[in-house]
Amino acid sequence: MLIPRFEYHKPSTLKEACEIKGKFKGKAQLLAGGTDIIPNMKKRIILPDSLISLNGISELKSNSVSGKNRCARIGACATVSSLIRGKFLLPYSALLTGLESLGSPLIRNMATIGGNLATARPAADLSPSLIAYKGKAILCSVAGKREVSLDDFFLGPGKTILNDDEILAEIILDELPACTGSGYIKLGTRKALEISLVNVAAVIALEKPDGVIAGARIVMGAVGPIPLRATTAENLLMGEKPSDGLFAEAGKAAAEDSRPIDDFRGSAEYRRDMVRVITVRALQKALHDIR
Amino acid sequence: MKIVINVTVNQKNYELAVEPNMTLVDMLREELRLTGTKKGCGLGECGACTILLDGQPVSSCVMLAVEAHNRKIVTIEGLETEKGLHPIQQAFVEKGAIQCGFCTSGMVLSAKALLDDHPHPDEQDIRKAISGNLCRCTGYQKIVEAVQSVSEGEQTS
Repeated sequence: MLIPRFEYHKPSTLKEACEIKGKFKGKAQLLAGGTDIIPNMKKRIILPDSLISLNGISELKSNSVSGKNRCARIGACATVSSLIRGKFLLPYSALLTGLESLGSPLIRNMATIGGNLATARPAADLSPSLIAYKGKAILCSVAGKREVSLDDFFLGPGKTILNDDEILAEIILDELPACTGSGYIKLGTRKALEISLVNVAAVIALEKPDGVIAGARIVMGAVGPIPLRATTAENLLMGEKPSDGLFAEAGKAAAEDSRPIDDFRGSAEYRRDMVRVITVRALQKALHDIR
Repeated sequence: MKIVINVTVNQKNYELAVEPNMTLVDMLREELRLTGTKKGCGLGECGACTILLDGQPVSSCVMLAVEAHNRKIVTIEGLETEKGLHPIQQAFVEKGAIQCGFCTSGMVLSAKALLDDHPHPDEQDIRKAISGNLCRCTGYQKIVEAVQSVSEGEQTS
């Protein structure tokens, strides 16, 4: 399979990359890890006139924990492997599970966190937990920067709020409050190189150790055009003491909140039932994760 | 329009002019005639085209050759020395871990990256490390045993 011809650009600054992207409007595509766009170009699904490599921009690769509120700042071109090795994401266990279950070791050494978000695949492994943590994205354009909530980032399969001249530069996760835990469950038929049939990320915060639930975020992937919040399930958990019975009710509510479709990987009916099951497991994992 | 890149392959420096739409696997196989790197699915799913990029295993079929500018690459041809096969290669031969051979170069390189980082992996670590390399002969057991034998120091060559 050959890649159709394109013009290649390799800017060394983010500003330059935004200028080139703006100039070509929708006809330019960004190249980060390449694990999604190169196969799609070979299959003639994406046919850009220009490809802008982000791999010469060092500011997109930096990761740190900084600021007075100790938030994690993740450069969009950080590879999945580098984030697993980096250790600074250890408190975000749902995200770590997602990073470890993405693709295969070969893919994880190439694929980037920014690419996983910006390609906006409904079954992506990183978006559910990043949304569940109330993650934010820094979008850069020629005019400047804007910060958006990842809750508002996705518009549909392959579609985000990024403008023609905008580039996803950074992902920010606030430090987790005390008594907070998270869990991510991916349902697939094999352990590697798998696209989720259903995935669920859950973050719960207790008021105090052994107290009632003071915060709950449940995000479901592969059961709608974009990652979906299970808001009915979240509301049902608030102010209650965690229990098996409560989590079972939340699982049923999450299944009702999901909007799965039939496709070759699974039926809508099966997916909805699995949302019920793995929401319970993700909640149990989150509760267990509270230390 | 061709772009000139500088790339180190198996410790040798090259200056090459490549088309932007050429993949790294094609550059290795067609330009440098290093055909030990195999081309399977071409979509980053089978691992036959595995190479080491700055020491990390990646699929060279989903990487553009131009992106290898100023990077260090090791292919299967880079493992053998004057003394003979690399201990991992030797183990694959001795343990019967090679059937049709198409996945072998990728398997060996994924195993090398694992053993370079963790000289004594357990079975699960090995299975995880080669989880992106598909063997259609399904000879995984012997492959795992071969890697285990290297980590246990059975291979001395």
